[in-house]
Amino acid sequence: MAQKSWMYSVLEAVQHEMREDPAMTWIFELTPPVASNPGKPVINLETEFGRKRVVNTGIDENWMASAVVGAGLAGSKAATYIPYQGACMPFEVIQNVASKLRHKTGGRASVPVVWIIEMTGQTPGFAQQHSCYEEDSYYMHIPGVRTVIPSTPYDAKGMMHAAIRSPDPVVYLYPAGLRTLTEEVPDEAYEVPLDKAAVRMEGSDLTIVSSGAGMPGVLEAAETLTGEGASVEVIDLRALNQMDTETIVNSVAKTKRLLTVDQSYYTLCPGAEVIARAVENVDGVKVKRVAFPDAPPPASPEMFLWMRPGPENVVEAARALL
Amino acid sequence: MERDVTTPPRETEDQLASPSRRGFLQLAAATGAAVSVGRSARALTELPYPAGDLSDEKLVEMYRTILRIRWHERTQADQMLTNPDYRGYNHFYAGQEAVATGVCANLRNSGPRDQLDLVYSSHRPSGHAIAKGVDIPSMVAEMDFRATGMNGGYAAEMHIADPDVGFAGADGMIGPAPVVASGSAFAFRARGSDQVAVVFAGDGNYAAPHFHSTLNNAKLLDLPLIYVCENNLYHQYAHYSLSCPHEDIASAAAAYGIPAVTVDGQNVVEVYNAAREAVDRARGGGGPTFIEAKTYRYYNHWGAPGAKAGELGAFGYDPLAITHFRPEKELRAWMQRDPVDIARKILVDWGVVDSARAAEIEEEVKAEIAEAFEWGLSQPLCNPEDGLKHVFAEGTVPARQFG
Repeated sequence: MAQKSWMYSVLEAVQHEMREDPAMTWIFELTPPVASNPGKPVINLETEFGRKRVVNTGIDENWMASAVVGAGLAGSKAATYIPYQGACMPFEVIQNVASKLRHKTGGRASVPVVWIIEMTGQTPGFAQQHSCYEEDSYYMHIPGVRTVIPSTPYDAKGMMHAAIRSPDPVVYLYPAGLRTLTEEVPDEAYEVPLDKAAVRMEGSDLTIVSSGAGMPGVLEAAETLTGEGASVEVIDLRALNQMDTETIVNSVAKTKRLLTVDQSYYTLCPGAEVIARAVENVDGVKVKRVAFPDAPPPASPEMFLWMRPGPENVVEAARALL
Repeated sequence: MERDVTTPPRETEDQLASPSRRGFLQLAAATGAAVSVGRSARALTELPYPAGDLSDEKLVEMYRTILRIRWHERTQADQMLTNPDYRGYNHFYAGQEAVATGVCANLRNSGPRDQLDLVYSSHRPSGHAIAKGVDIPSMVAEMDFRATGMNGGYAAEMHIADPDVGFAGADGMIGPAPVVASGSAFAFRARGSDQVAVVFAGDGNYAAPHFHSTLNNAKLLDLPLIYVCENNLYHQYAHYSLSCPHEDIASAAAAYGIPAVTVDGQNVVEVYNAAREAVDRARGGGGPTFIEAKTYRYYNHWGAPGAKAGELGAFGYDPLAITHFRPEKELRAWMQRDPVDIARKILVDWGVVDSARAAEIEEEVKAEIAEAFEWGLSQPLCNPEDGLKHVFAEGTVPARQFG
């Protein structure tokens, strides 16, 4: 047990699984699988497992995403790390090949692979193609692919173990803005389920649901609201597909007020699905949806920071519901 | 003559005026001999070649363009290193100036939009933009997120564009730009225009499927496309040998049946001559050309890590380069063949300007760039609400961040 960063926690899980399974492979471009952490040995998958199993390709996300599917069909577990510059280039092979393989073969094919897909949207000024945070909506829409988005180093490690061990293909979204988070993370292997939301704070007046990079701002806002006397329940979705309807419905049945917070675009953001499931199952719910407007992220920090939902937006919207 | 492309090519300067070569070169020009991939037998700085016909004014303008790019990059790097209020950034082009300059000097960069040649840039765009003729002060303002910048503060460095000069724009992604450029070339051909499309892309683009799709379709459809591969040896921090099995990336283009040439990207005249042949071919309906310019960047992949204010190049530690560091000796060796120095020497050797005038021109350009930064950095910041504009041709989209 030690304070560990996000990436160290993730690579610790991958290292463990690759030691357990000599057939498992890792494919990357540009971002080497290296992490260091105070008081811990440096993890370098490339040097530990060699370049036959850990491959640095050219800039070709299509190959990376497709190659792990082929590796999976050949009976090897495989994972690939797609940096944010190419986060949707793998879309076709995930949506139209991998996601349908089990179903179209009548259950005979299995694709036990993980696509780690970086999301950005955190650094003002990176602009447009390096600032978007919409991949959650795209990938969560695909049947047959488990799409998850951890928001803490502890969950990041446990969900990586679960993703690699899962017989299903997993899109593992990595909000790059969370890379600076650290927390106590066990050294040994453990699993965090790929289909369970987490209740981060319990309360009875209002349910706030968010995920990924939205979580730190939501927790900050919840503290403010608590200070104002509100009893707030905070849910971290973690699993976008399949979404944990039960945890959402149980909470909203209690609070009757639901606020969703997304850094993704408003239309079809994860919160839209949360609201739909809540109002389908609970009568008389008041809802609000905070999200990035349906506009690409502009370069100017003045424009971008005004558009991206922050803690103050969450507090204002919550007050309006309470 | 064999050239070892893994080291900076060195033959052009010392062979500039070789009489025996001139005889051969005149013969080669008369017969229209094709330049073979990677094994250029021609010293393209020789006078019988296209650049030899250029006016003194045009040659001086090309020298000015190289200097504008160089001093834009140096001034911006110094801003990043010394001015805490400066928020802009760049993927610096210093070291590669001769490539953009030599290519764009052959293009239609002003006039009605339906006659302009189009340039598609990479995410190392400032050199391409300046060579294509964008307004430098408004580019400076854009890179610092100003409301009156070239793209109103929406673009910043990785997305600058100016359709009025045929600068289709930068692209933050590796892959798509060449394919899109081939679409412009397709449209030119379909409407019977003699415009040409040029795409600048780095060695990193080779591995993307888009590279191969572009060349295949450009050849199949005889598109007026010029693919300029700027091989500066590194994509981000990885040497190109990690992603391409060819020593010359141009040999891959030859496999698609496209005329392909490698040139010394540090020598503006050599680049100009190769691009001239390519543009003539494309305008004349002869289809695409692939030019691989061997070049090098003086700064690290992004921003100014490792650089010192007032000094050219980045020799220090780059924390972003996790596993690959380019050798400092490699950078120093390339800086011995500096595109500014080579351009200046050619102009002086050809009697276009003397050394004193060449130095004066550089001072004029430095003053021009200093004024551009003074203007750009005094421009107003953006209105937050304007982020909801320009999503569609008309109107604004609703704010959604307030719930």
